[in-house]
Amino acid sequence: MRPLMALVRKELVVLFGSPVAYVTLTLVALVTALLFFDHLRVYNQILFLYTSTVMGGFESGTVPGHFNLQDQVFVPLMEQLGLTLVGVIPLVTMRVFSEEKERGTEELLMTTLLTPHQIVVGKFVATYLFVSLMLAVSFIYPVTSVVYAGLGEQHIAAVFLGLLALGCGLSSIGLACSAFSTNQLVAAISAYAVAFVFYDFAWAGSFVNETVASFLDAISINPRFRPFAEGLVALEDVVYFAGMAAIAYALARLSLEWVRVR
Amino acid sequence: MGSGALSVRELALAGTIAIAFGLGSYYATDEFGRFGGLNLAIGSVALLIALIGRVRRFRGLGSSVSRRALAPQILLLVLVCAGSILAERLADRAGIQFDASTDQRFDPAPATREALARIEGEVRVTLFFEPFDPRARRTRLMLDTLARLGPLQIEELAVDQAEAELDRFGVSSANSVVLERGAQFEVVERPTEGSLLEGLLRLENRVSQTLYVALGEGEGDMTDGGDLGFAGLASALSTEGYEIRGLVTSAIREIPADAAGIVIVAPRRRLRAEALTALATYLDTGGRLIALLEPGYETGLEPLLERYGFGLPPAAVVDPASGPVEGLPDHTSPLVSSYAQHPATAGLSQRTMALLPGARPVFALRKPRPEDHLSGLAFSSHLSWLWDRDRPIDGHAKPARAPGTPVRPHSMSAAGRYPRPQGETRIVVFGDSDFARNAYLRSLYNLDLIVNAVHWVTASEERITLRPKVFTPTQEPLPPEYALRMLYGVGLLVPEILLICGAIVWLRKRSA
Repeated sequence: MRPLMALVRKELVVLFGSPVAYVTLTLVALVTALLFFDHLRVYNQILFLYTSTVMGGFESGTVPGHFNLQDQVFVPLMEQLGLTLVGVIPLVTMRVFSEEKERGTEELLMTTLLTPHQIVVGKFVATYLFVSLMLAVSFIYPVTSVVYAGLGEQHIAAVFLGLLALGCGLSSIGLACSAFSTNQLVAAISAYAVAFVFYDFAWAGSFVNETVASFLDAISINPRFRPFAEGLVALEDVVYFAGMAAIAYALARLSLEWVRVR
Repeated sequence: MGSGALSVRELALAGTIAIAFGLGSYYATDEFGRFGGLNLAIGSVALLIALIGRVRRFRGLGSSVSRRALAPQILLLVLVCAGSILAERLADRAGIQFDASTDQRFDPAPATREALARIEGEVRVTLFFEPFDPRARRTRLMLDTLARLGPLQIEELAVDQAEAELDRFGVSSANSVVLERGAQFEVVERPTEGSLLEGLLRLENRVSQTLYVALGEGEGDMTDGGDLGFAGLASALSTEGYEIRGLVTSAIREIPADAAGIVIVAPRRRLRAEALTALATYLDTGGRLIALLEPGYETGLEPLLERYGFGLPPAAVVDPASGPVEGLPDHTSPLVSSYAQHPATAGLSQRTMALLPGARPVFALRKPRPEDHLSGLAFSSHLSWLWDRDRPIDGHAKPARAPGTPVRPHSMSAAGRYPRPQGETRIVVFGDSDFARNAYLRSLYNLDLIVNAVHWVTASEERITLRPKVFTPTQEPLPPEYALRMLYGVGLLVPEILLICGAIVWLRKRSA
């Protein structure tokens, strides 16, 4: 356990020792803030129109039930944050394995006390921890306003759990791509491509029959995250993201073995 | 490959970028145009060629040593993939989910569960949606939740591609749901759990019972859709399978034989003697009555109800535990703090309160015969007291407790069951009618209280249940000063601090 923790610590130190971590965190925080305040501005403007004297004011019943802070600001923001993660997470994961290959330190790592299993788990855990921190930073704005709007703590916890699951799922894609690449740029671009393809297969719906479309929907990432944003935690969605992590782990193990064999 | 030709890696990278742009154009425009399609096709071909090239490069890995080394990892990968798919399918079949939403919107009410369990055959459910409509997303989840509980076959149609279906069903707006069984269909324009349940109940087309609603002495108007009217109650009762008919009491000598029950809602004038006689005869021979009586009005029903053991003192219930209601003095709108153990209040508890604005007390005083059953149904809090009034409550009157007035829970509704040779008489009396007006009917558990009382009176106990509730989160705007405070305090400060940290790390690394 101690070598594993040492590897996790080393990975985090390397990450925070480079400006990439701070730039990524800044980027996510800034994008979330801008999206959030833009949603808020639009919400306030439309609400003003609904409640104007021309429309009869607040008591007139002209404000539709779905027009509230939770549904107009929080939930859409969380969905957009999911798409933002697709853009940011490959920047974090690109270096995890490919940097070792690029520098030739991979063989060195294999000669330490760490088993291949521990190497892969250590790198995965460090990346997941960083992604969790990134999500915590981006979660500050919506939570402060939504507490004001009366969204329950349970709901907020469910949304955060969903973001964590999504973050870990996307990280797993990035890590698998990084494991099979010797170049950080190639790792990032291939992670973008795979994440984009799997994010939502709705685009393929019009080309295929119903059975294939429902299969594609079942393997898409976004439909799995949506229920969390609404406050619904379904076991199948949690298992889906856990499965992504497990497959990425197996791919990374295969990649390590591949290197050893070659 | 020569230096002029693309290497496997370059081809793979170019193909990946082409696919990313193709999909990016789809996400941006929600359309697969020529640009997107071409990029996807070229990217796929490039990736395929690169993959073939890559495989040819790895022919050397086919040695037995390599195979032995790689085989366990490939087996692990296959097992993990198969295990993940199996686990996901099992989890999907188990349908285990935790509803953490603030309004518990994915935890259907008992009424919905029962209605879905009762459905025979399949109900086709079509959601008409507009892309990017946030309401459709919620409706989709709601329908998926309901489909787990009953035989619903869900289909989705984009409104811009389903003109014929829109015309066929008369759907006028997006985020509408059509429930269809055989040739019958119901359109639900604003799908919530409640409206979908009502649609399903209407589709079920149960055999109706007839309820007669008394008219002609200033009773509540069951056709009025305004705040003061009772059209909501009439609609709810129709949905539950009752046919509502008016009964002009001044013109009758006897109650119609097909009456499943009589509903009398807050008469403002005394009922005529002939009507009271007809009602007495009806009740003596196993009749069913629901009476909603306001304080300060003499209806002529009081002596008749006293014969059945009800006490209706000319007073109003004052409950300091209750909140204010517009137009009424403080503390005169008691909440039901507790319910009696009675079939009509099954499922209701201290956590499922009802609001009875301006209620009068209704006591269960004494059973006319030993075999009769008589009990209070809904009670005010232990802080309440009775305010002697022989006039209606209005906003100008202020309750003042006279010294010595007892403070204790007071019954605001009572129910009696009287087995008689000609049939079983059932009576429920409420000391209020406002709680069933359109303005308050959907507040708290008012609807359940009145509709379940009707079900009990008509001996339809199997229909007694709790219905879905509607919750609307705060609709107030976020004050500008609060939003600005957040923008500067959190929105900009956090990224700024992070960027400063990044800059310091970068400079230190450069100088190291």
